[in-house]
Amino acid sequence: MPMSTTTSLDRRRFLAASAGTALAATGLSACAGSAGNGTSGSGSGKTTLTVMTVQNEWDKKTLKAAEEALGMHLNVIIWDATKLNAMLAAKNAPDVVRGFGATETPYFAARGLMTDLDPYFAKSSVLKASDLDPVNDVWRYDGKKQGAGPRYGMAKDYSQDSMFWYRTDLFEAAKLDVPSATQPISCDEWLDLGKKLVKRRLGKVKVYGLNATGMGVFPQLMGMTASAGGSLFAEDLATVDFSSPEARKALQWYLDYAKADIGPSVTNPNPDGWDGPTYQANRMAMSCNGYWFGGLIGADAKLAEVSRFAPAPQLGGNRVSSCFGATGFWIPRDAKNKDAAWKFFEWYFAGKPAQERAASGWGIPSLTSLRSKMPQTSAFQKQAFQVQEQELPHFSVLSFTPYAQQAALEGVLTKVLPGAVKSGTSAGKVADTLNSRMNEQLAQGKELVG
Amino acid sequence: MSTEQITAPGAPSPSGETAARPGPRTGARSGRGPRSMTTRRAISFYVFAGPWMLGFLALTAFPLGYALWLSLTNSDGLSNNSRFVGLDNYREVFSDPETMSSLARTGVFTAITVPLTIAAGLLLAVLVNQPIRARGLFRTLLYLPAVVPPVGAALTFKLIFDRDSGAANGALDALHIDGVSWLMDPYARWVLVSLTVWGAGNVMIISLAGLQDIPRELHEAARIDGANAWQTFTRITLPLLSPVLFFQVITGIIAAVQSFLPLLISLDPTPKGVTAVPEGNYLFMIHVFAQYFANGRYGYASAMLWVLFLIIIAVTFLVFRLSKGAVFYAVDPEPAAKASRPRTIGGK
Repeated sequence: MPMSTTTSLDRRRFLAASAGTALAATGLSACAGSAGNGTSGSGSGKTTLTVMTVQNEWDKKTLKAAEEALGMHLNVIIWDATKLNAMLAAKNAPDVVRGFGATETPYFAARGLMTDLDPYFAKSSVLKASDLDPVNDVWRYDGKKQGAGPRYGMAKDYSQDSMFWYRTDLFEAAKLDVPSATQPISCDEWLDLGKKLVKRRLGKVKVYGLNATGMGVFPQLMGMTASAGGSLFAEDLATVDFSSPEARKALQWYLDYAKADIGPSVTNPNPDGWDGPTYQANRMAMSCNGYWFGGLIGADAKLAEVSRFAPAPQLGGNRVSSCFGATGFWIPRDAKNKDAAWKFFEWYFAGKPAQERAASGWGIPSLTSLRSKMPQTSAFQKQAFQVQEQELPHFSVLSFTPYAQQAALEGVLTKVLPGAVKSGTSAGKVADTLNSRMNEQLAQGKELVG
Repeated sequence: MSTEQITAPGAPSPSGETAARPGPRTGARSGRGPRSMTTRRAISFYVFAGPWMLGFLALTAFPLGYALWLSLTNSDGLSNNSRFVGLDNYREVFSDPETMSSLARTGVFTAITVPLTIAAGLLLAVLVNQPIRARGLFRTLLYLPAVVPPVGAALTFKLIFDRDSGAANGALDALHIDGVSWLMDPYARWVLVSLTVWGAGNVMIISLAGLQDIPRELHEAARIDGANAWQTFTRITLPLLSPVLFFQVITGIIAAVQSFLPLLISLDPTPKGVTAVPEGNYLFMIHVFAQYFANGRYGYASAMLWVLFLIIIAVTFLVFRLSKGAVFYAVDPEPAAKASRPRTIGGK
């Protein structure tokens, strides 16, 4: 008798069994993931809430305090866009996710991935809609535009991101008048100041005159176009138009800025990755960052002494000062513990952490009732507070498209602009290229969203 | 001496039964010797191979199949409205100029870095194989870059080559020469090549092992025959080292076409930062990553990965074919494999 027929373990059976086990394991791992996020995740019977957030906001002490205050176990996952995408795609979403309301809400909401929080706000005695700062409207999306419709998340704090900070010592050294604290300067004046403040040596910039794009190039162009009275996105948010006079003016300004080589740009990114260390090291005269940047400055008394805050420069006569972050949290549609997640919301956005954040100077509180807690002790804090108070009325929601992520649009800019800056291509031609490439991406997104 | 020991395999035993082949006594005594032996060997094989097999199926075969399915859709991984698009994504891969140029760039990067890395590693291996003082220290120092995590190495290079505060421009500054934007085009690709070649310690250590495996007698015989150092190296060392070098060429090509280093030397190694990688360093895998996580084009990116997978297989096959006659094995692998191959595996 052939051995293969009598041996209990043959190759085919083994391979079939392996495949079965592997598939079962794959399936089970998905179930395990779901179970791990369930309400009975911890052995103590406490609810386990999975929070995806950034590491520097959640040290062990904070985590312990949160667990005690909430009476639940927190499973903190470090925020990572690729991991979040994978978890959402696998319908194994975290319960609470950190995000940028201004640029992410339409994208996730249009794909039905966010939980409508209106019913929670309606029944909450802690978070009341009447107490919400207008910035929280960037977390709303009605299917056609941002700023209306259901609330999908909430900002923990915010800034008007086109405002800027400057170092008075570098202005004094350059014998320049400091910008007004009440009237915004024009973008052209801003660029001129940057050119006068930059310090070079042998082809290298030793001190940047100006960083004009704290939150990215695309949002900055959005804000500038709006201040010139236009809009980068069409009304249906399905296309961009860089060819309109307002958008082309903004684009030309950015090309001039990058060509002037007076600060970090698509042709010469800041090696520090962000303005903080560069500004602290006396290597940047003007930094386009909102109120939150004052938290960093205020921690260093010497730096605070020589730092002041200024209104957002304007490209045209339509004074606009938007927010491109509104960092906060949202609850995914597939979250397992939505009630517990809302409890987390109430604690985090209105409880002790919110009060501490408001007093820290790292952003404007997202509840109007907490605004009085903003720091106003030192001269630096008083000046920043006053400038910020005067800027608040000029806030407005600029709708972002639901059909592409900011990274995709930034990607087109960083591919097209460096060549254009080097070759001196006209803004009109650059606008055509940007329109063509971005609109192709937006069309693909629109097909999926419907 | 027992009867079992003197009976020839297959010959009738005194009891009239056919004797078992030499092997464990228990099997022979039970009368089910060959089958038990084979089964036991099969079980051992599968016990050892099983975990790998499970891992392969769950972590390689399943994702490959899933990616193949995704590549036939326009999925963004999140929307429910994705649809079957047939081979559209594959057509786009071959018609998209950006994808094609990233592929071509990857080919050039591979063609530059693989020979350079192997040549540098081989040179270092020959040097540290010489009877010199502190040889161990040199070996350690030269191998050290290969064990530095790529993230750390990339960060170091980023700091060295920063335009405004880096050491490279600092050196130029001391010579009163204008600084250079090393991390931007057109210099960024050369920083990337340097970073890749900097890790030649891996090639060095494997080549060193190969060098030490070459019998000294062969070199001595060549010297007696009047061969100089270069002739000895090209006629004896290189041919005998060729299987080791060939292995490194194959693994080097696979690693180079999958290189992710450009993202690590960019300022922000995230989906947002991937879009800021300079064009010169915008390799195929960076484009794949951008398509997945910046542009949300899961279907298209999966098609790109499948194309890359097929290219790697084709290139590997081509290199194997081209290497015939250039790689010398001390033992012919084919007859050796046949001789050592067991007649029964898995009960057959």
